[in-house]
Amino acid sequence: MIHSLFLINSSGDIFLEKHWKSVVSRSVCDYFFEAQERATEAENVPPVIPTPHHYLLSVYRHKIFFVAVIQTEVPPLFVIEFLHRVVDTFQDYFGVCSEPVIKDNVVVVYEVLEEMLDNGFPLATESNILKELIKPPTILRTVVNTITGSTNVGDQLPTGQLSVVPWRRTGVKYTNNEAYFDVIEEIDAIIDKSGSTITAEIQGVIDACVKLTGMPDLTLSFMNPRLLDDVSFHPCVRFKRWESERILSFIPPDGNFRLLSYHVSAQNLVAIPVYVKHNISFRDSSSLGRFEITVGPKQTMGKAIEGVIVTSQMPKGVLNMSLTPSQGVHTFDPVTKMLSWDVGKINPQKLPSLKGTMSLQAGASKPDENPTINLQFKIQQLAISGLKVNRLDMYGEKYKPFKGIKYMTKAGKFQVRT
Amino acid sequence: MPYLGSEDVVKELKKAMCNPHIQADRLRYRNVIQRVIRHMTQGLDMSGVFMEMVKASATIDIVQKKLVYLYMCTYAPLKPDLALLAINTLCKDCSDPNPMVRGLALRSMCSLRMPGVQEYIQQPILNGLRDKASYVRRVAVLGCAKMHNLHEDSEVDGTLVNELYSLLRDQDPIVVVNCLRSLEEILKHEGGVVINKPIAHHLLNRMSKLDQWGQGEVLNFLLRYQPRSEEELFDILNLLDGFLKSSSAGVVMGATKLFLALAKNFPHVQKDVLVRVKGPLLAACSSESRELCFAALCHVRQILHSLPGHFSRHYRKFFCCYSEPHYIKLQKVEVLCELVNDENVQQVLEELRGYCTDVSADFAQAAIFAIGGIARTYTEQCVQILTELLGLRQEHVTTAVVQTFRDLVWLCPQCAEAVCQALPGCAENIQDSEGKQALIWLLGVHGERIPNAPYVLEDFVENVKSETFPAVKMELLTALLRLFLSRPAECQDVLGRLVYYCIEEEKDMAVRDRGLFYYRLLLTGIDEVKQILCSPKSDPSLGLLEDQAEKPVNSWASDFNTLVPVYGKVRWATISNLQRAERRGPELPAPASFATSEPLIPEENKEQIQELSDAGALTLVPNHQITAEYFEKTWLRLKVAHQQVLPWQGAVHPDTLQVALQVVNIQTIAMSRAGARPWKAYLSAQDDSDCLFLAELLLGPDPSEMQVSVKQQEARTEALSSFISVLETVLGTIGDITS
Repeated sequence: MIHSLFLINSSGDIFLEKHWKSVVSRSVCDYFFEAQERATEAENVPPVIPTPHHYLLSVYRHKIFFVAVIQTEVPPLFVIEFLHRVVDTFQDYFGVCSEPVIKDNVVVVYEVLEEMLDNGFPLATESNILKELIKPPTILRTVVNTITGSTNVGDQLPTGQLSVVPWRRTGVKYTNNEAYFDVIEEIDAIIDKSGSTITAEIQGVIDACVKLTGMPDLTLSFMNPRLLDDVSFHPCVRFKRWESERILSFIPPDGNFRLLSYHVSAQNLVAIPVYVKHNISFRDSSSLGRFEITVGPKQTMGKAIEGVIVTSQMPKGVLNMSLTPSQGVHTFDPVTKMLSWDVGKINPQKLPSLKGTMSLQAGASKPDENPTINLQFKIQQLAISGLKVNRLDMYGEKYKPFKGIKYMTKAGKFQVRT
Repeated sequence: MPYLGSEDVVKELKKAMCNPHIQADRLRYRNVIQRVIRHMTQGLDMSGVFMEMVKASATIDIVQKKLVYLYMCTYAPLKPDLALLAINTLCKDCSDPNPMVRGLALRSMCSLRMPGVQEYIQQPILNGLRDKASYVRRVAVLGCAKMHNLHEDSEVDGTLVNELYSLLRDQDPIVVVNCLRSLEEILKHEGGVVINKPIAHHLLNRMSKLDQWGQGEVLNFLLRYQPRSEEELFDILNLLDGFLKSSSAGVVMGATKLFLALAKNFPHVQKDVLVRVKGPLLAACSSESRELCFAALCHVRQILHSLPGHFSRHYRKFFCCYSEPHYIKLQKVEVLCELVNDENVQQVLEELRGYCTDVSADFAQAAIFAIGGIARTYTEQCVQILTELLGLRQEHVTTAVVQTFRDLVWLCPQCAEAVCQALPGCAENIQDSEGKQALIWLLGVHGERIPNAPYVLEDFVENVKSETFPAVKMELLTALLRLFLSRPAECQDVLGRLVYYCIEEEKDMAVRDRGLFYYRLLLTGIDEVKQILCSPKSDPSLGLLEDQAEKPVNSWASDFNTLVPVYGKVRWATISNLQRAERRGPELPAPASFATSEPLIPEENKEQIQELSDAGALTLVPNHQITAEYFEKTWLRLKVAHQQVLPWQGAVHPDTLQVALQVVNIQTIAMSRAGARPWKAYLSAQDDSDCLFLAELLLGPDPSEMQVSVKQQEARTEALSSFISVLETVLGTIGDITS
């Protein structure tokens, strides 16, 4: 399926290659470079590039292109998902996935890739199984290894391979038994000039970190399961039970995993937690423009909005901006025309605002389009969709586990048109 | 892959590896080997230290072993004789007590890719298939495929294949999937792995135990299984229902494709499935991964071809975000263009209007063309928006708008008036060839309604010397001549100047010839010119209607979840053809089956046809061609030489029949469309002695009888009977397939 993999940095150097079926010459990447040159920005490189003999499927993450060489017809989503899994695995192993890190750990990278694919087919991709095959490098282990000469490779086969439940290894033991669930919701929205919502949807996930001894069988129920109609589950969840009773029943994998992801897209269910008041105007005659934005909370159920960052790509004609924020710091890059304002936490009593003037190119006509404002924010202890976990029960084991649940709402692609 | 600048490094590393002090120190030794690997990954030629690496493979250190094996797999094809030295160590490792070492050694041995290795790996692979550790079995199963690839022409080993088929019952799910993958490669010349009822049911029951990759692939393999009864079919669909909600987009798409394929005779089930995957598909369209988004959008477009209203309610999901990459924005605009309906047209157009002023010229133009596409149904609103855009006076916007106008006037003549009013003043904002051509064409065809048309064209004529594009000059000639016919007084002088320039000074031959041609045409008289230039145009609605017809789901179901929706069928076909034509050497193995649909005539039947035609000593000439008129003349002249009634079942699929006849070199002259009553077809063929056979197929009121009448140019009974038997075989085969 996947013939070869090339890792290419954004300046167009191949810094790692791996072949599974036969050695494909590097020159195949020339087609990729051509496409890269044609695309003005790295992220505009199309993900599927046809060449006379191969197809190049690529994903771009962490400023690295992961280019898979394909020779036969394949389901494209499959390969793309797999490449993302490779990146996730690297990130999991090394903390960050960047060119220098991969170069430093090239040997581990090779070992991991060798286990993930054989003859071009995916083999072991679950991170907890992989980690048993090849232990991730840690500073401590590196030090120990240098002293004792031991290795990163586990010399035992992962036990999970032989268990009846393929995602969980047998004989797990912990002194502290704990199960944590994080409900994280990202809100994607486009708000138009007048403040009304054009599109809004919530993409939610429940990530779990389960460290329980033995073979626990968990059930998780929600206060309002009707919210979840567009859901996808980790393979461990018993789908029939969910369909009939709306209860999540599962034997969890060991460690970190994503229990489910869901979408809430019905417009009336999506509450927009912030508003932006803006007044950005250019005048035909003068070379000065007015700029004023205010950010405020709305429908947050009393929770504070934190980590607010406002960014905006200003039109080409803007030469400079002189602004004063009521809180936080702002920067304007006159080359890329990118305005960014790190607001921090919103105080509902004193709303943060950014006011000032823009100086425009003299003589140029006024820009056709007002800039779009992108917003990032975080709200702790709130799932904006209103999803709430009712209770978590454990069967099959005797001990009492420690249970925890956390909610968080973040901005995804949140933009306000002006 | 030799790269320069590696000699010194190789020398230094070689020295280090031979150094007994380093060899004694495990850590230092391993570090040197790591350096070799690091250089290898950067593309330096490290084959020089092969001998030393072989020595290093005799170690108990697993990491060192791994690294050395990795190295060997890369360079073994370059140094086959030295690689043989390593095989001994590898063989020994294949019986190591540690399953990881066994698996590792077996995998490396199978990946060595050098001649002669086959005899060494056969036994270890067979042992590996029966190993008690699943890890080793996984490797061994794939090893079978690798071994086969080393000797592609060698016969398929029957016992090995049987062994693999029996391993489909293995308790380890990955072994099962690997068996399928491996069998598929080994049996590719025989059409891949066979999925019969027991295997299909076994796989279906194991589905939930597989990982997402396995699920995706098994779903793909299951496409080959045809359930025997309706009941079984719906059982399968019920069993697979959960996979439409899988968390992996790939599995969802795989399941969708299988559903569409299985339910190909139940359109309502297909529609139902497409409704069910709407959610997951839309989720993939707004996924965090841009690449997934892109692939999903391509599939959305595919679905829209059959069910135009399918996503109309969710049109807002396809509005572009500022920060998205171009390829996604372009796809979204295309989708928006296709899901427009009466309710959302206003909002969609407003949104698209916003994109037209985007910073990126390409995107802005794409948005304008999209508005042009919508204008075919909602002409008035769109023309108004496009006219407003002209007011921006931006070059890239104006040229795109004018091009859209040109196409629009051609397809919807009713908007000509509005377009003509918008045109004046555009000329100064157009610089590129395409835009100029469009503007000149418009001025030429509708010049009588645009007051300043002759003067705009005159400006172009003034600057014709500095014009770089010949196509623009050609367009200018034609347009001016057309305008001359409707407004002679204003154009005569300018036309004279232009024709003079083209004939006397122009260096481009095509333009010059066109100039001369028009000059001579004018000499014959004005009425003749009118007759030629202003004769009725072909009907534009023909092409348009064909485009908009909704394609049945089955027409693309087999392409769903492949690269075809991303790059289009035609494109993919040319690429795979190229590949087939140029496939050679070990660099390109795997002559994969690119055919998206089953071959029309099963292999065995093809042979049968061949045999029959050989027996009768009848060779039909390929690519013989006769015109319909000639056929008609000959048909009327000749007498019926043979008439026969063949049994027939079900409806006729003209395309299938035509292709099948083509295979045996029988040409189709004419055929009724599918479902017509009575249904007729006229065929012709020619043998190597230039004897012409003409045949008529007639499906009368009784659809179970196909009447065949054959006429022959020269009376030769032997040839006639063999021709009839060929025809009979084809019709028999097709009848079987369609029923």
